[in-house]
Amino acid sequence: MPDSYTVVGKSFQRIDGVDKVTGAARYATDLKFDKMLFAGLLRSPHAHAKVIHIDTSAAEKLPGVKAVATIFDVPKIIQYWFFLRTEKKKKEIFLRDNIVRFIGDPVLAIAATSKDTLKKALSLVKVDYEPLKAIHDPHTALKETEVSIHKKGNIAFKVNKEFGDIQEGFKSADIIVENTYHTSKQKHASLEPIGSCVASFETNGKLTVYSSSQLPHWTQHYLAEALELPLNKVRVIKPYTGGAFGGRCGVIHGLEVMCGYLSKKTLRPVKMCFNREEDFSATESRHPMTIRMKTGATREGVITANEVDILSDTGGYGTHYIGVIADCMSTGIGLYKIQNYSFSGTVVYTNKSLCGAFRGYGNPQMNFAQESQFDIIARELDMDPMVLRLKNYRKKGEMDPVLNERILSNGLEECLEKGARSCGWEKKRLRHPGNDHIKKGIGLSIMLHGTGAARALPDPGSATIMMNSDGTANLHTAAADEGQGNRTVLAQVAAEVLGIEFEDISVSETDTDIVPLDCGTHGSRQAYCGGLSVRDAAMDARKKILAHAKRYLGVEQSQLMIKNGRIFEKINPENHISIKDLMQKIQIQDMGVCEQIIGTASGIAPAMPGYYGAVFAEVEVNTQTGEVKVIKMTSAYDVGKAISPENVRGQIVGGGVMGIGFALTEGLQYKNGHCLNPSFTDYRLLRSCDAPKVEPIIVESNEPTGPLGAKGIGEGSMVNVASAISNAINHAIGVRLTELCITPEDILQKLKEKMA
Amino acid sequence: MKKINIKLTVNGEQHEMAVAPAERLVDVLRDRLGLTGTKEGCGEGECGACTINMNGQAVLSCLILAVQADGATILTIEGLQNGINLHPLQTAFLSESAVQCGYCTPGMIMAGHALIEQDRNPDETKVKTCLANNLCRCTGYEQPVKAVLKAAREMRRETDA
Repeated sequence: MPDSYTVVGKSFQRIDGVDKVTGAARYATDLKFDKMLFAGLLRSPHAHAKVIHIDTSAAEKLPGVKAVATIFDVPKIIQYWFFLRTEKKKKEIFLRDNIVRFIGDPVLAIAATSKDTLKKALSLVKVDYEPLKAIHDPHTALKETEVSIHKKGNIAFKVNKEFGDIQEGFKSADIIVENTYHTSKQKHASLEPIGSCVASFETNGKLTVYSSSQLPHWTQHYLAEALELPLNKVRVIKPYTGGAFGGRCGVIHGLEVMCGYLSKKTLRPVKMCFNREEDFSATESRHPMTIRMKTGATREGVITANEVDILSDTGGYGTHYIGVIADCMSTGIGLYKIQNYSFSGTVVYTNKSLCGAFRGYGNPQMNFAQESQFDIIARELDMDPMVLRLKNYRKKGEMDPVLNERILSNGLEECLEKGARSCGWEKKRLRHPGNDHIKKGIGLSIMLHGTGAARALPDPGSATIMMNSDGTANLHTAAADEGQGNRTVLAQVAAEVLGIEFEDISVSETDTDIVPLDCGTHGSRQAYCGGLSVRDAAMDARKKILAHAKRYLGVEQSQLMIKNGRIFEKINPENHISIKDLMQKIQIQDMGVCEQIIGTASGIAPAMPGYYGAVFAEVEVNTQTGEVKVIKMTSAYDVGKAISPENVRGQIVGGGVMGIGFALTEGLQYKNGHCLNPSFTDYRLLRSCDAPKVEPIIVESNEPTGPLGAKGIGEGSMVNVASAISNAINHAIGVRLTELCITPEDILQKLKEKMA
Repeated sequence: MKKINIKLTVNGEQHEMAVAPAERLVDVLRDRLGLTGTKEGCGEGECGACTINMNGQAVLSCLILAVQADGATILTIEGLQNGINLHPLQTAFLSESAVQCGYCTPGMIMAGHALIEQDRNPDETKVKTCLANNLCRCTGYEQPVKAVLKAAREMRRETDA
């Protein structure tokens, strides 16, 4: 492996950049095929009801209506947790029975020759519902015995774990802090609405689905199962995708299965695209949680006990509810070496839209509670909150008790030091908030997030590199790029290991017919898991190249090196051959060889290393209006090694701004099962005039298991933003906010309580 | 329903067509002319992804009926480059890493284009105000703002030269 990198660590123009700035990039919403039909869903107006009868006769008579599929005749959609397919874990979801479980739950799909006909046809369907009592509140769901949202009741999942002895932990504490926190139902709000696909079943028995899924192979697997097709007859192609953030990690309402089914019925391509209202009110969102936390500490600032009790609301259906609550636990415990830790989590169903994976995966909720607790303790002990973190965080070399993995890299201390220095923490922390009605404050918080899911799930990763006879190479990977830039990052890894230029690598389409099995893009895993597969595939190709070079240069492979497109003898660089010449010789010129060099790698990552970060948020709070303005954030993250620093900065800044939204403006509001804000008018995202300066700082701890030292970043950059902002508000006005999002009304109310 | 004949000049090409009274400009561009670079993110004028230039102004093509655009000169993202040479805005969006998923990018660039055509020397506040109509969920806005400022600088240099 080269010790000084020529491609890695530098920023290149992203490989999909030109397509995206010229309008040439085609997203699923842009696709159009001959004889294509337009499909749409009829959705339940009831939060909880039994479907008694569906009358589609009038719709079916309408000219242009080609197929109708009701919940009674579409194939069952099977959810298996990624690739886990044991009977125990197999759960049927969506369109599974005759019950609708939230306003927006689909009842049927229609495919028609035009959008207008489709709209008219949907309006002609008559559905008889028997309304059932709905449960809107997770606390009610816990107690309710008369109404069952699912057959097995309203409790989807329960977990209880204890590490050490929690009672002993509280006994040895000098102070104990207990609070209850609430977090909001945040929506991904990717600019391309979630739910867009085209399915095309052809007479030859092959189904091709264009879907903006984050997990193309997973999509391929559940389509094959639901439509009873062998995997070689199901091809999933992921076109350009307009953002995902976890929102395309679920089954997306069986959208692809519906389209596949309708296409199979009509033998015509079928396209379905959700609109913004459907995206907001009927696709997955972040799990809202109620978190009770009781934390004990000694006078010296050693945290002796943490007792956590979480109630998570997954809505009408569950997809990622187990993983999300498990990650609350693993990230909370993994970050700090608290000897006595008790974790209890309950997930309940309610008659609201379903929840699923979302950037941070339970961590932003948990982090808000735990980092608020640490801030409170630091203030009570009159200790620098940074010192309290440094005293308690789990360092390199220590064991992570949940993952049962030793920490091999941890740059948290450097994140804190560099961040503190850059923002002027020492001085600002002790600064008076000011005497006028605008109060200034600064707060910090830290976080840990796992890279990939090797300890939790079957999480395959694979890559293939095919050398061309001019020395360039084609990389085949299923690393779905939703915009974060991982295709560019992986091309850099391939170029570095092969010793060729970045521009010499071209990356394939994400097409399950041509790319090897990969678990897709989730869990901040592509730079690490994808990077490992690409590194090893490139190593494999490199080994084969050097084996041939040996014949031409007359020295052993171990004496050879590849750099900048040249293969040369380490001690005598004059003895060399260019990769271009060698490839031409062995692939097409030398009649005795004619070998296409192909490098491949496949398997599971050896670890799921944590990546770390510290955020320093500076706020101004207007005590007259309750308005909170984030002035600046300094965000330092340990990413192991930044393969593309520009992409890492993009993740830190973009995640930072999304985190501010989670803290201050975002969350779906519900009243009696109705989503009150399913539009950008009422669901407020930050805009360019609202976004503060985010100062990104990259720390490189060099993860030994990582490809060229890399680990993750994508999710972590939003995890600890809300806690840092809340801690800054506390510094500014001396009140503690325990509910997200923090509104001006909340601030004014807290100030009123403080005055009383 | 009776169709209405309209004329449009889009990216320098003239088109004549019969449209339905309720047909939106965004659908004419995307479905009839195949110009899918213009995106639809919400259909109600909140996200800015469908921003185009009509008679030199940045407008939301999801809120304009095709009949309202009769006789108009329209520029979309596809008409911005000169052959294979990218427009300074396109180059700046690439060099400033202002592109991630790319779904908001055409709208952002077209919003920036109308601004720079009217004011070659916009300050940061003016650019931020201009791009406030365009939602972006990936970048956090800093890089797109920088990109528009950079393109304006570049275009000033071109004008001065």
